[in-house]
Amino acid sequence: MYHHLDELESQSIYIFREAYRRFENLAMLYSIGKDSTTMIHLARKAFFGRLPFPLVHIDTTYKYPEMIQYRDRMAREWNADLIVGKNAAAIEAGMGPEQGRLLCCEKLKTDGLSRIIEQHGFHGLFLGIRRDEEGSRAKERVFSPRDKNFEWPYKDQPPELWDQFNTSFEPGTHIRVHPILHWTELNIWEYIKREQIEICPLYFAKDGKRFRSLGCMPCTGPITSSAATVDDIIEELKTIKAPERAGRAQDQENAYAMQKLRAKGYM
Amino acid sequence: MTQSDTLKIVIVGHVDHGKSTLIGRLFYDTGSIPRVRYQEIAATCRAQGREFEFAYLMDALEEERDQNITIDTASTFFKTAKRPYVIIDAPGHKQFLKNMITGASSADAAILLVDGAEGVREQTKRHAYVLSLLGIRQVVVTVNKLDMVGYDRKVFGAVENDIRGFLHSVGIVPSHVIPVSARQGENMAKRLGHTPWYSGPTVLEALDTFENVHGDRTLPLRLPVQDVYKWDGKRIYVGRVESGEIRKGDEVVFLPSGKITKIKSVEKWRTPDLPSAGAGESIGITTRDELFVERGEVIARRDNAPVRTREIRASIFWLSDRPFQAGASYTLKLATAEVTATAVAIEERLDSSSLEVTERHARELLATEVGNVAFALKNDIAADLYGENIALGRFVIEDGTLISGGGIIRSLAADSGGSVQTVRLDDKFIINDDGSFVDLTRERREVDFYVTAPFLDYLSAGNRVLFRLRDPRQVEPVALMAFEHNLRFSFGRDGEKINLILFRDAGKTATAEPEFGGL
Repeated sequence: MYHHLDELESQSIYIFREAYRRFENLAMLYSIGKDSTTMIHLARKAFFGRLPFPLVHIDTTYKYPEMIQYRDRMAREWNADLIVGKNAAAIEAGMGPEQGRLLCCEKLKTDGLSRIIEQHGFHGLFLGIRRDEEGSRAKERVFSPRDKNFEWPYKDQPPELWDQFNTSFEPGTHIRVHPILHWTELNIWEYIKREQIEICPLYFAKDGKRFRSLGCMPCTGPITSSAATVDDIIEELKTIKAPERAGRAQDQENAYAMQKLRAKGYM
Repeated sequence: MTQSDTLKIVIVGHVDHGKSTLIGRLFYDTGSIPRVRYQEIAATCRAQGREFEFAYLMDALEEERDQNITIDTASTFFKTAKRPYVIIDAPGHKQFLKNMITGASSADAAILLVDGAEGVREQTKRHAYVLSLLGIRQVVVTVNKLDMVGYDRKVFGAVENDIRGFLHSVGIVPSHVIPVSARQGENMAKRLGHTPWYSGPTVLEALDTFENVHGDRTLPLRLPVQDVYKWDGKRIYVGRVESGEIRKGDEVVFLPSGKITKIKSVEKWRTPDLPSAGAGESIGITTRDELFVERGEVIARRDNAPVRTREIRASIFWLSDRPFQAGASYTLKLATAEVTATAVAIEERLDSSSLEVTERHARELLATEVGNVAFALKNDIAADLYGENIALGRFVIEDGTLISGGGIIRSLAADSGGSVQTVRLDDKFIINDDGSFVDLTRERREVDFYVTAPFLDYLSAGNRVLFRLRDPRQVEPVALMAFEHNLRFSFGRDGEKINLILFRDAGKTATAEPEFGGL
């Protein structure tokens, strides 16, 4: 009767309510992907159908058009306050992956995010990262501070136990809250199925290919797959051996790419 | 239990006893390593001119790879035929105890690892003790590196006796003690034949016998209030049921305030009228009375409520470089409550690896040390003994802005309600023909009211009740009662006498203009 998805859901709702109680001026980072879409569904559960904070999408202008269409349609459906942020200066100066994938991520995503945080004075951000995605995310706390310089002190994080989170911080710090940190990729799909959450159509196979992880066009490739429904994807995941982010070129730049990006404030 | 119910396990033990290798082996043997990952590690090892290192799997961070130790808690995932597992790799170095505790605090079960050649060491014992403090009861012991001692049965037997003895002293009975070699894979996923003298399960078989630890629905109800939402014209108290079950129509008490009411609804999004909710569920409730209660109160059944207290004794562990000091004040966070607490005395300071008392009435505890401490709390909280209800029997200790330690409650002094006097308002208060009055002029303590249905009926019938107050501060509890029960009152002063008249105005709401007549 008490299903593992119920437990995951309840834990995420608890985290949402805890953050909402503790911090003013929160926002949720929305990447359009399955994880952050699931996270929005969980927030609506926590707040009885409301989204009591804005969604922030950092647009690198390199996104697939299907993603942007889906984003705008869903934001209307959720009655969400959607803020779209861009690092306009870097985009105008022609920043792109040909100048280095990691530099491009840092300029268009990390810097784009930092501008939005400053502009709106956000004290806290919800992010849909998961521990099973890759190594440095596995080491995250549920409530994870970033200092004035946006840096993540991953070597010296305070303890977090029994659902008691660190909630007081030095001025200038912003807090990242990770409501689905404890979910796996398979959990996400099982939950999408159970809750009938509408997700971006790029995840479903067309002409023998589908996206397993969504990102910018130049750096994100589809996988070979015939999984055209949520059920197909769940079956596929039970046998797949490749890592989830294998299609994300920036992760493969060097052995510690993601750790380096994330120590500087990347999502 | 559903087939895909994930079990969270933590792996603890002395540094260099082979944790990361053991985990790498579990992943490899269960086919849980993406091929790309395996090739990456093989390439790195070749480049460094060494054998394939299973440990690299867990050590995702750069520094760890360089120093060959595990810095923080990482979690990774593998599957057996029975179910998926999340492994929390807990670091062994002493200075990383806070990460080990972060990892271990959410685990359902633990593997305690001992090096067969080195035997039980300081951190083996410290980690075992921490497991007992964290309430982890499902423990399997693996005696590792037996390939280094020729799978000698005597060596294994000696280590087994040692560790069983120590675990017994901290109240842990291991489900099995298993002879293994993580490097060679003996008794991990399969038997390779090196230990014909061992007839017990492999590590994977032992793990598959463990159960998920969920909140217990059969224990008494504990629902700590996490927040109060005033939405859609309702007051919704939200929180997670930590134990027991809450049902629509239940009569409940909020503690420490002591307010009593009935559950009007149990709600979730899209299901605003559930018959009940049980341990583990995050819900919202509304109540018959619009009680003015805040985060930190605990909802329970009146006949089986937590204790209201200002005095607790706890076993604590300290994790911060700034010492824990006798006489200093800290913030305790217990479920959703927060309270300022003074460490009245560190009654005993313990050696966490031998559990011997090293000092009585100590001045301080240093990082990684444990002790038995008496706390005096500034305000009442609702708490339980750890042995009776885990969720309300444990707390973390905040020093300044950081969580710096944790504790479990060994004993607590029930507050007899000495600081607050509850005045019961029922039909007995109607004293004489002059009308009804409640005399508070001799009440020196803080007061609150227990309002009964006959009392409300009496007011609804158009009657008025006079309250004689000792001092103006007693207006507040009356105002609170008026707020919660939709009543009105008027205020009057006659010399040093203070009189309030409480009434209900049929057809009008309490927000109407107050009246000043009638005194």
